[in-house]
Amino acid sequence: MTALADAGRAPPRRSLSTFALSENGIAVAVLAVFAVLPLVISGYPIYILPQYMLFGVMAMSLGLLWGFVGILSFGQAAFFALGAYTIGLAMQSDLGVNPAYVGLLLSLVVGGVLAALAGYFLFSAGVRPTYFVLVTLALSIMVEQIAVSQSEITGGWNGMFIDRMTVTVGPWIAVSLSADLPAYYSVLPVVALSYALLRWLVSARFGKILVGIRENEDRMAALGFDVSMYKTIAFAISGAVACFAGALYGTQANFVAPSLGGVLFSTEVVVWVAIGGRSSLLGALLGGVLVASLSNYLSAITPEYWQLVQGLIFILVIMFFKGGLAGAVAGLGRRGWRRQVAP
Amino acid sequence: MSELLRSEGLTKRFAGLTAADRIDFALEAGSVRCIIGPNGAGKTTFLSMISGHQKPTSGVIYYKGRDITALSVVERARIGIARKFQTPTVFDALTAYQNVELAVLGTRRPKHQQRARIFEVLDLIRLADEWAKPVQFLSHGQRQWLEVGLLIAIEAELLLLDEPTAGMTATETAATVRLINMLTREFGLSVIIIEHDINFIRDLHSPVTVLHLGRVLMEGSFDEVATNEAVREIYLGDAA
Repeated sequence: MTALADAGRAPPRRSLSTFALSENGIAVAVLAVFAVLPLVISGYPIYILPQYMLFGVMAMSLGLLWGFVGILSFGQAAFFALGAYTIGLAMQSDLGVNPAYVGLLLSLVVGGVLAALAGYFLFSAGVRPTYFVLVTLALSIMVEQIAVSQSEITGGWNGMFIDRMTVTVGPWIAVSLSADLPAYYSVLPVVALSYALLRWLVSARFGKILVGIRENEDRMAALGFDVSMYKTIAFAISGAVACFAGALYGTQANFVAPSLGGVLFSTEVVVWVAIGGRSSLLGALLGGVLVASLSNYLSAITPEYWQLVQGLIFILVIMFFKGGLAGAVAGLGRRGWRRQVAP
Repeated sequence: MSELLRSEGLTKRFAGLTAADRIDFALEAGSVRCIIGPNGAGKTTFLSMISGHQKPTSGVIYYKGRDITALSVVERARIGIARKFQTPTVFDALTAYQNVELAVLGTRRPKHQQRARIFEVLDLIRLADEWAKPVQFLSHGQRQWLEVGLLIAIEAELLLLDEPTAGMTATETAATVRLINMLTREFGLSVIIIEHDINFIRDLHSPVTVLHLGRVLMEGSFDEVATNEAVREIYLGDAA
């Protein structure tokens, strides 16, 4: 084969400008903005933003499922709340090591195992996506109900108070995150790392197989891929990520109540991801941060109507921008590219 | 040549209807077999039982001497039995390259070999120039080929092709004959084909199995089948 013919088949070369316009490039820029934000502003936003970033991580856990496997879950908040309760209980107990670390680690295990179990039984039984949504909905209701009913452990309706965690490195370093600034700078790297890990996952062999399942499940099975196993693993990862983010949120917010795991909040997560763009992890992350911030702002200035506004945005996105914010940006990029290429 | 596939007494009953009735079938490794028969003869049902998409009511399937009757679609694909469906079943939103890449990912080939392998397959199915095109924009015939390409890419040994030339032009059909001949002669693959296109079957020069009302009516060369009185009758009867 001639070199010329081969060149036509080569994927486009990466350059700095194409990277800057890629999802990872935009993500680096966004994270850089978050990194310098505390130098510019202080006070309430620096207190609340880490919590919204963790909402964003939960949104990414849904983005992985909804965008890449094509499975919608109304149960992400259940995992999130479970994580918060897990770290809360861990920090109440008398452990030799840093209890927050134990709580964070446990939250990964609890979320992952619970999702793996639910996923295994549902997917290997060939449950249809619609029924899967219903089961995840039930999961949210269950977590909320258990949090209410087991009041000796969870505090019931009153909720549970959780201390801010302390970051320790062996016996040498101990930094309390009770002040907002260190808390902010400890959450930000976790958010960046979660994004990087999930991005790596979806661009690796595993992620490509998930997209294959989303596009044509029957074809994947007929090619010899164990579709239900891959779906189960994806759900387990999604559950683990949401639960871990919830644990970190618990120590950030100092408080967890049953409603954090409820259906209403789970629905909000779906709205964030739809608005941000489900086929992009960055879209989901920003959807979580921006919509939660907007809700907070609107609920302060117009407590009666903010949910209406959010609902309207959701409807508009579903009607006119199926790909959400990320889809619209990608569309703009493509149009710009076409203009450059056109004679 | 050794025997690759054998079915004994393969039967499928749907409520009140016997779609496949005690089918005994054998296929040599590296050979092609066409299955013909009028509508409702049980051709697709038979193929579905071989691919694992339908469980037989009774009967046994052996592949390389092993009883595979209880294996799932996924398990059968892993041991080399892969199926092309009647309507092209590919990943419509993905490019031709990505389609074949997904199949290659199933083979656990080392990463640095994957790209070369994908283009090897794309060359074979004449889609190398269209590698970057979402396959929903390919012609019906090209999509048929792509699906065959996916089966080649997972390194299947037995290809089950349900109407591979449906919707193809005469030129495309002729190219498909050449492709199938190359797969069997050069790569040693075995192929079972359900087809209606009589020119295609003749050009393949392969043995033909005729199914009628779920049973094997006869087996033989194309000429034997084409001149058989009983075969003519069921086809004429079908047309009337």
